[in-house]
Amino acid sequence: MFKLAKGRASAWAITGAVLFMIVQVIASLYLPNLTADIVNKGVALGDTDYIWHAGFKMIGCAIISVVASVCNVFLAARVSQKLGQRIRADIYRKVINFSHDEMDQVGTSSLITRTTNDVTQIQNVWVMILRMMIMAPIMLIGASFLAYQKNHTLTMIFLIVIPIMMIFIGIMMVFAVPLFRKMQDKTDKINLVFREGLTGVRVIRAFRQDDFEQNRFDVANKDYTDNAVKVFSIMALAMPVMTLIMSGTNIGIDWWGGHLIAQQALETGNLIAFITYAMQILMSFMMLSMILMFIPRAQASATRINEVLDLTTTIKAPATPTPLDESHASLQFDHVDFRYHGAEEPALAGIDFNMQPGQTLAIIGGTGSGKSTLVNLIPRFYDVEKGAVKLDGTDVRELDLKVLHGAVAFVPQKANLFTGTVRDNLKYGNEDATDDELWHALEIAQAKDFIEENPEGLDYHVEQGGGNFSGGQKQRLAIARALVKDASVYVFDDSFSALDFKTDALLRQALKDDEKISNRVVVIVGQRVSTVADADTIVVLDDGKMVGRGSHAELKATNTTYQEIIKSQIREGDED
Amino acid sequence: MAESKQPQQRMGGGHGPGPRMGLVEKPKNFWGTTMRLLGYMKSRLVGIVLVLLLAIAATIFQIRTPKVLGQVTTEIFKGYMKGVAQQKAGIQMAEFPIDFDKIKGIIITVIFMYLASAVFSFLQQYIMTRISQRTVYDLRRELKYKMKTVPINYYDTHSNGDVMSRAVNDMDNIASTLQQSLTQMVTSAVTLIGTLWMMISISGKMTLIALVTIPLSLVVVGIVAPKSQKFFASQQKALGLLNNQVEENYAGQVIVKSFNREETVMQNFEVENQKFYNAAWKAQFVSGIIMPLMTFINNISYVFVAIFGGLAVSNGTVSLGDVQAFLQYTQQFSQPISQLANLANTIQSTIASAERVFEVLDEPDMTDEPSGMPAVPDDHNKLTMDHVKFGYDGSPLLMTDYNLEVKPGQMIAIVGPTGAGKTTVINMLERFYDVKGGAIRLDGVDTRDMSREDLRSHFAMVLQDTWLFTGSIWDNLKYGREDASDEQILEAAKAAHVDNFVRQLPKGYDTILNESASNISQGQRQLLTIARAFVADPEILILDEATSSVDTRTEVHIQHAMSRLLKDRTSFVVAHRLSTIRDADNIIVMNHGSIVETGNHDQLMAQNGFYADLYNSQFSGNVAI
Repeated sequence: MFKLAKGRASAWAITGAVLFMIVQVIASLYLPNLTADIVNKGVALGDTDYIWHAGFKMIGCAIISVVASVCNVFLAARVSQKLGQRIRADIYRKVINFSHDEMDQVGTSSLITRTTNDVTQIQNVWVMILRMMIMAPIMLIGASFLAYQKNHTLTMIFLIVIPIMMIFIGIMMVFAVPLFRKMQDKTDKINLVFREGLTGVRVIRAFRQDDFEQNRFDVANKDYTDNAVKVFSIMALAMPVMTLIMSGTNIGIDWWGGHLIAQQALETGNLIAFITYAMQILMSFMMLSMILMFIPRAQASATRINEVLDLTTTIKAPATPTPLDESHASLQFDHVDFRYHGAEEPALAGIDFNMQPGQTLAIIGGTGSGKSTLVNLIPRFYDVEKGAVKLDGTDVRELDLKVLHGAVAFVPQKANLFTGTVRDNLKYGNEDATDDELWHALEIAQAKDFIEENPEGLDYHVEQGGGNFSGGQKQRLAIARALVKDASVYVFDDSFSALDFKTDALLRQALKDDEKISNRVVVIVGQRVSTVADADTIVVLDDGKMVGRGSHAELKATNTTYQEIIKSQIREGDED
Repeated sequence: MAESKQPQQRMGGGHGPGPRMGLVEKPKNFWGTTMRLLGYMKSRLVGIVLVLLLAIAATIFQIRTPKVLGQVTTEIFKGYMKGVAQQKAGIQMAEFPIDFDKIKGIIITVIFMYLASAVFSFLQQYIMTRISQRTVYDLRRELKYKMKTVPINYYDTHSNGDVMSRAVNDMDNIASTLQQSLTQMVTSAVTLIGTLWMMISISGKMTLIALVTIPLSLVVVGIVAPKSQKFFASQQKALGLLNNQVEENYAGQVIVKSFNREETVMQNFEVENQKFYNAAWKAQFVSGIIMPLMTFINNISYVFVAIFGGLAVSNGTVSLGDVQAFLQYTQQFSQPISQLANLANTIQSTIASAERVFEVLDEPDMTDEPSGMPAVPDDHNKLTMDHVKFGYDGSPLLMTDYNLEVKPGQMIAIVGPTGAGKTTVINMLERFYDVKGGAIRLDGVDTRDMSREDLRSHFAMVLQDTWLFTGSIWDNLKYGREDASDEQILEAAKAAHVDNFVRQLPKGYDTILNESASNISQGQRQLLTIARAFVADPEILILDEATSSVDTRTEVHIQHAMSRLLKDRTSFVVAHRLSTIRDADNIIVMNHGSIVETGNHDQLMAQNGFYADLYNSQFSGNVAI
């Protein structure tokens, strides 16, 4: 946690916050001392001038204390939020540049939590550190010192009270912490059952299982309630017992203090001051134990953040990149083997083909056969283990990453749109594209109709993640976005499966008819035979191995895997 | 669902309108909702009265102790002054003449008061925990029950995220307020009044002095606190925007990278990040200075009381113990004020939460409107659609006069482009929605004249959305029909190619399917839903043919299991495979949510309409498959 602050939080500001805190604590500790003086020297001696004098000093103290604490809060707020801002920016920059390996390793949703919740957690803890956590020990030490100064003997009372308090807090923690943890699990369970009731409502009703669901929920609900009652019953003890301990201390000090006064070993005013110090000591002790409960949680967040920041990208740009003729490049896989990070079995083996501009390559195979993995190697989302992926005859590892990404237009399986307008989204890969070009791309992608239907057209607002479009619409917009880009290779990673047969067919035909695209390399990953059938070359994958390469007719005649795929999709008698 | 309905259907938990930190939502009908919420505690009225009494008693004891304890100081001081006077008079003594017997008596009283206060406040909490938790238990139960009685339309028009947020965030909010705030409110009020009372009882003049600062604390509570809320609201808003960016660009990181947008994206992020920083430190600062300011105001009162108390003691008008007690009261005084101010916000946001929960509870239930049409005993069809009018509320009718006869054992294929609204047919058959006119008859009886339960017992569905609940595989299969015997379930599992892979799992049929179902594959989930339908053993089957995302071997298994399931049953199949379509006795062709053509393959091809176009388009290009 402190490692994260290094270099990101201003040392001056932190020092300032600590100094102001010290001033604040000293000033507020001095107050009871002055009260004692009023009693000892003013009241006892009947010196009204002294009372006024001490009174003004007290007001001065109060003002110093409030000014110091406002300054401390100011610095604490700025430092902690600045720290959060910097950590967040650092993580973000890192993640945006991650290769697939690192994304897989941590997972997108976990990365999101780390950038948002975990950083917020760190920020909050730093506010606490800079305010309460440094206050508690200073207060504890200062108050103990002053109390000791007022009377040595009476200080002994803390030797009894503090251990009692520690034991009590310890017992509470032992009992309550596991129950609190359980409560989280049980909350999750309630929410899970409730959410399943929402997502599965049609199935539940169709199978007439509403009562079953109600029972399932009741069990979780009851379980949670019982646990919550247990937890809060234990917690109900906390405050009363703590108050009792503090009140007991109060009484003890009065009793022994009285005797000390009788023996002329203590002044009356000091007794009053001592009680105030005693309360401050016990309060700061409680504060400290509360903070100590927060630290482990923040530490967990810090660890998760450091994990991300310490990851290094495996895909590195070459020092002296080879230039590329972007508009007219061939795509070659030269005996490529690939293995996922830490995997035993290779995910791809012996992939070999060479596509010239103007040709279409299709890749087909079952789920998990490595189709997506294969196309992910083209823009260097992963690096090959053996062999090489070549663009225009140059190994992609020798190209500048920007140049490589500029030369490959990639449509992933999952269509992701960004908040903004349709135009913003389409121009994502080509800032200079004209509206005509955008409409042309939409036409090819079979997306013109539903954009045109809208009066706002290209200015139609896209919600976060494209939430206001259906799956098929998003997919077509993602395709159009890639088409706007002027690239050498267009990759469609299973982008057509969300489309119906007809749209799929029209789209592929439009790609073929387009002047620009028809002169580039097109790579299509597909599940349906009809999607891949008219490609120049079809690569058939099975379990990461290239088991066939050729045209539809060739493969249909000779390749058993391909025949199986056809058979699974079309029954005998369907062939025309 | 039809594409046009998609926008309302965003999923995701916990994003909807819910209570947000620092953002106080004002309820629309405060008292009405409050009374209704309290109504849930009616059966626990005795407990609540007890809790309130205990809270008041505990607070009163707590408040009185400083004054009583102050007597000890007075006694000590009296003895001390006497001693000093005697010493001045030249009398030598080992100890000052402090009356320890009297002190002992006072202390014993105080100990009892402390104990009583502690016991009362523990009991109060202990009982309140039970009351509040059980109340929320009831409320949750009722909400869940409501989910069963609202029409499907409710689900289609409300996002899951919205409903979840009400069930989770709002419910939590209510729970913690009932748990803490209610008694806190009573305690604070009693403390405020009690402290004031005690102060007045000690010295009216000193009370006036102590209260001089009250307007100052009102300024803090009334001006700074709302300001901090405003800053928190803008912080929360900035954080929301920032998090959106994070979510969106992490999810689309591939796109960002492959379109060389890293720098632009980073710049946008920096802008939002800076905005968040600007809002956040202000929120932290303003909320952070409330405490020191209140302490300062308190200190000022403290000083005034110390000065004037000191003067009064030296005049002999007030005892020292009373001044000491008074100082403690002064310190206590501002706490309930700021607490009550906080509570006002908490309670408002809780009532707003309760309002949102009640809003769900007040949704109209499903209604049964008998068709008013006589049964047609000589209807030999399994299912008849007779001049059906159908549409969703608030949108134009999708079909105005649709007729279809389904003979027992027939297979009806439903085809159409993506998003053509094939769900509509399921909605009508299962009576998720009622027809707007005409009739759907099952074995000659209008489906509106049967209970939904009864009607649905004739059907089973296998959808592409492979919903299974978090529970064992066995329980999920039994879901199809609760009274199915173990043999029937095993038989169904075997018929659906489930048995084999389940036996390979370490825990077999006891394997718990988790929410994301990472422990079995998508295809295997599909097989489980088929097995579940086998267990249900329905007369009529509604089946959604799988299209993709499964490996070839599983695909073969699914095909095989589906054809077994279809055998000898009347069925409606959302078809993707040509063979299914060709085998169908009737084909319902859908587009834009309504039925455009009906007939068998040859008839439809002869019509040369939408279907023919759809069918032929699959062979575009010159490749024969």
